[in-house]
Amino acid sequence: MRISRPTGPRAAISLVAMIDVLMILLVFFMVTSTYLDLDMVPLAGAEAPGGGAGGDAPVERVLVRLSADGGAFLRGQPLDPEVLRRELEREPALDILVLPSGQASVQALAGLMDVLVGAGAQRLRIVRLEAQP
Amino acid sequence: MKLGRPRRRTPPETIIALIDVVFFLLIFFMLVGRMDASAPFDVLPPTAQSGADMPGGGVTVSVSADGALALEGGVMARVGVLKRLAERLDGAPDTLVRLNADRGAPLRHVLPLAAEIEALGAHEVVLVLTPGLP
Repeated sequence: MRISRPTGPRAAISLVAMIDVLMILLVFFMVTSTYLDLDMVPLAGAEAPGGGAGGDAPVERVLVRLSADGGAFLRGQPLDPEVLRRELEREPALDILVLPSGQASVQALAGLMDVLVGAGAQRLRIVRLEAQP
Repeated sequence: MKLGRPRRRTPPETIIALIDVVFFLLIFFMLVGRMDASAPFDVLPPTAQSGADMPGGGVTVSVSADGALALEGGVMARVGVLKRLAERLDGAPDTLVRLNADRGAPLRHVLPLAAEIEALGAHEVVLVLTPGLP
């Protein structure tokens, strides 16, 4: 005769342990992640403004100077986006060179690029400073 | 004789609903967040509207307002940053190099650095922005 053992009640899998792990993962991702919405503009390399542009045809160039206090100047006058917009309507392939002062802030350059792109600039180059003043 | 009403048993809260909520939160934070090595100093990127969406991956070089440099979360001297970047870019020049400069950092700390990184052979050097009005 075969004696079968009485089967005991099946041990329930505890969900509490799983919730603990989930909570730890949740807290980990909340704490270690950054939630800033970040964008980018090319600064150097093949996709940089004017990078890799060939000088096939003589193009008109205009120099925009960015002063140390963040002011932008076009031909000695404070930059007026409307003036630039009219020039770009006349010559859409206008080559805009930005000459930033080394003392100007990154925000000033980003703001100026916004203004220039807003005025319709397509060819934008930054004249890089080679040596530290 | 006082007849006591039979006490109703309160239904047990289902723990499954809690797990569902925690799962949703977990997936939400995993998708929304960005797992970057943050700089050891405060860096507030400049605001602009003309930026493009930034893809993940790559190397982040942080520049503080006073010109201190950090690579992938560790403060480093300029020479060290360039040396480590040269090692990373050697054989993988397509690595995206992100310059996460503070909005108040002078350009003399940022633009020559971008040129030097490009000279190391980087195909793409970008400046990190946050969308918004300047």
